[in-house]
Amino acid sequence: MRPLVIAWKDLRRTYRSIASLAMMLLAPLVLAFALGAAFGSGDNFTIGPIETIVANLDSGSQSSEPNPTDLDAGAMLAGFLAGSDLDDLLDVSSAESAAAARAAVDRGDAAVAVVIPDDFSEAITADAGGQPELGSRVLIYSDPTLETGPAIVTTVVNSVVDGLNGARAAYLTSLQLGAAAGLSDTERLAAASQRAAAAYAAAARSEPPIRVDGRDPNSGDESAAPNVASQVLVGMMIFFMLFGAATPARNIIDEHRDGTLTRLFTTPTPRNRILAGKYIGVFAVVLLQSVIILLVGRLLMGARWGAIGPVAVLTVCGALVAASLGLFTVSFAKTPAQAGAVSAAIFVFLGLAGGNFVGSVDIGGAFALIRRFTPNGWLLEGWGHLLFGGSWSSIALPVAVVVGFAAVFFALATFFFRRRYA
Amino acid sequence: MGGIVVEKLSKQYDPPKGPVAADNVSFEIREGEIFSLLGPNGAGKTTVLSILSCLLRPDAGGAHVGGYSVTDEATEVKKLIGVVPQDIALYDDLTGRENLQFWGRMYGLRGSTLARRVDEVLELIGLVDRQRDRLGKYSGGMKRRVNIGAALLHHPRFLYLDEPTVGIDPQSRRAILDGVKDFNTAGVTVLYTTHYMEEAQELSHRIGIMDRGAMIAIGTQEELVRLVGEQARIDLHLDRESETLAAQWRNLPGVSSVSEPEEGRLSLLVTDANTLAPRLFESAGEIGARVNEIALTEPNLETVFLHLTGRALRD
Repeated sequence: MRPLVIAWKDLRRTYRSIASLAMMLLAPLVLAFALGAAFGSGDNFTIGPIETIVANLDSGSQSSEPNPTDLDAGAMLAGFLAGSDLDDLLDVSSAESAAAARAAVDRGDAAVAVVIPDDFSEAITADAGGQPELGSRVLIYSDPTLETGPAIVTTVVNSVVDGLNGARAAYLTSLQLGAAAGLSDTERLAAASQRAAAAYAAAARSEPPIRVDGRDPNSGDESAAPNVASQVLVGMMIFFMLFGAATPARNIIDEHRDGTLTRLFTTPTPRNRILAGKYIGVFAVVLLQSVIILLVGRLLMGARWGAIGPVAVLTVCGALVAASLGLFTVSFAKTPAQAGAVSAAIFVFLGLAGGNFVGSVDIGGAFALIRRFTPNGWLLEGWGHLLFGGSWSSIALPVAVVVGFAAVFFALATFFFRRRYA
Repeated sequence: MGGIVVEKLSKQYDPPKGPVAADNVSFEIREGEIFSLLGPNGAGKTTVLSILSCLLRPDAGGAHVGGYSVTDEATEVKKLIGVVPQDIALYDDLTGRENLQFWGRMYGLRGSTLARRVDEVLELIGLVDRQRDRLGKYSGGMKRRVNIGAALLHHPRFLYLDEPTVGIDPQSRRAILDGVKDFNTAGVTVLYTTHYMEEAQELSHRIGIMDRGAMIAIGTQEELVRLVGEQARIDLHLDRESETLAAQWRNLPGVSSVSEPEEGRLSLLVTDANTLAPRLFESAGEIGARVNEIALTEPNLETVFLHLTGRALRD
């Protein structure tokens, strides 16, 4: 009973402080609103069409006489880039020469120039019988200050070139198969090979029969894509939960300085219950903070958090680990100022290492490994699963790890506090 | 049941080189009396009070409050005592009433009992009208009253007040002293620490004088003053600091004690003040010093302290 009285007192004191409210509630919500608006008014990320200029210098691979199987790979690539499928992504115009295309990029009229060489088609159908292979290169010239647009254009061009390289492989294979079958009419053999190459290239442009479906095995419905604001808000919420916990945790040091903790020790309330009350107070403060942020996010920002049960469990786990970490960071400090400086440094480091500033977005690489060593990184992973439609099974591991972190921090905090006050 | 019994209490901070805050201290406080611990800062008063509040464990010796040991039966002791700390130990962001409610709950009060006691204490400390205001908006004197009120909620048998009048205005000081007398009249045993001689004289049934961790005298005011005999005290204020003069006066016939000079002020314990006063002016003049102020005081607790320690209480 008395621990709850202490916790209730601490809860009221914290939520009566304007500074605490600003740090715990206003800061994460304002940041999430601002970042959400910056990346698409709270909706998903959107990228405008990339200004692309194409200089197609290729005139195709032609037989000595006009033939319907002649390959015009340059037109194929240019047509693919300008096709309706990529309307949303690319805004394509054409240039007469490579120099004109590059000049358009230099002037800023286009972000990317694609220069298709004049031997593009020839390179695919060359080497019918021991000729050296032609080395043909598609040039992609881009504004050096841009990253995303040129990367997208390069990817699209690569996919077409890969298909054309496959067509060349089909061409050469047809030649070999024909020769092996005893065909000696080289003109008919070349025509058949060109038809095979053209058929391969056409097939490559059509809907493939087999696709790789990349899906997180822990996630459920892949169509449940969250909006940007909710992804950002999750990161901000967890980050500011740490600060939210530090405020009431630091309150123990404040009370020691102000004499109220000593006065509490003169009452018949045992010291372990007093400390328990302080612990519960920190947990309650953070739990209420996260519930408020989740509700505001849902009501004002349209965030879809996921199934209520897993959301509740993850929220409680977040409050647990934030409270225990907050207590731990102040447990070895001697003054409130020292506690504030130490905890702020630790939280900012954890925020950076754990990925709070990129929300639930999975960046990968070494960063993915580093965030595994932070409680907030695991919390973000759990929230990431929930935001993309995950359920109990998808948060089981993050929850287990986060509870483990909380237990360790709690034990350390208790050790230091008991050593000081027991 | 009994009052408070302290037996051979010793406490040293950061042994073996730290200061000895209590050195074999023994005394007894009878139930129903006001007992003052008088001594300068650093005498060990707060240490003794902390041990009796079960905040500190003694290195040696022991103490019983209401028959319970402060070391082995701390919870029982804490139910009997109300502690008023020297500094205001309350929450500025809670209202006066919320503060009292919180501290009442910490003493185990609940429901209607708590509400009634909070009302009674608010009445007692005269803050019924301001009970809904946050403590941060109270004056220093009002906070002091709440600080005391928070220790009275559970009807303690023993009330400890640790220098409760430090740094407050005379009006609030008067109210606190009158309040202490009223609590005592209502049956509360009071342990009061102070370095103000006047407060100890006004309030106390008995006084214990502490210096450098030791209890150097205990008794009623009359009993303590009798220790000085027929001596009187002369307080002087010179226009300069003079160790030479102090040393010279210590050798004068009829002077039993001279305190260390502090900002030109020093006190002498003398047998015949009227004869000696002209000699003091004379010897001061010989070294070019001027006496700005002189006061002759009948024996009191200050005189007792000077007599016992060779130092003024203010030292």
